[in-house]
Amino acid sequence: MNECRTRVRSEAAQLPALAKFLQEFWCAAALPPAQSLAFEIALEEIFMNVVTHGTAAGGQGHVDVCLALAEGSLTLAVEDEGPPFDPLMLPAPDTHSRLEERPVGGLGVYFVRQLMDAVSYARVGSRNQLRMTKHLTR
Amino acid sequence: MKVRVETVARTTIVIPEGRLDFGAAANFQVQVEQALASAGQGPAALIIDCAGLEYISSAGLRVFLLAARGAQRSGFSFAVCSLHQPVREVFDLSGFSHVMTVLPDRASALAQLPGGSS
Repeated sequence: MNECRTRVRSEAAQLPALAKFLQEFWCAAALPPAQSLAFEIALEEIFMNVVTHGTAAGGQGHVDVCLALAEGSLTLAVEDEGPPFDPLMLPAPDTHSRLEERPVGGLGVYFVRQLMDAVSYARVGSRNQLRMTKHLTR
Repeated sequence: MKVRVETVARTTIVIPEGRLDFGAAANFQVQVEQALASAGQGPAALIIDCAGLEYISSAGLRVFLLAARGAQRSGFSFAVCSLHQPVREVFDLSGFSHVMTVLPDRASALAQLPGGSS
């Protein structure tokens, strides 16, 4: 299996279904189990970002998730129909600030940047598209 | 995800087991807040034992930050212990390892925190 996609409603309750989608792809493609965590985190962080920031006016938006394996790299693409929003524009958190000064948010997108080899955002027609790629070591 | 709470001497140990994702974070936060609220009745320390923790996202990490701050405000000690390697990497990425005590196992956490062994 080299490519797989799914579509879910843009709501937090769909998160377990997405985690299962990723897990099933991982098993079917016989990918190394120890390397799934980066993608599990990226999927949750970006999906929850869309749910929180990006629901289309009137609600009931959908999110498309695609996993594609090519030349030893896995690409996770997340697309939504919300207003233009580039999560990569969010400022990086200061991970060295003291306990009292630590903001409680802002870590999600930072994790995605750190865990993936490449991350890119594009506005494609009326959709936001975030692509995340990481090389898997066999 | 399951959350268990144990008490050893004057230390409360909160034990999250399974996946600490966005959906599980709210319940975990309630358990941590209850543990912190019981500080008035005597616990001198709070430990979050992660031996059974398989996955954590930023939503779960946020609760660790709230726990560390709550413990600091209440004037008792706080430590995180028994992180598995992948979860530990996420912890290190967040920089949380610099602002809270992270120990290899529960025994060392109990030994190092006041109220753990008496």
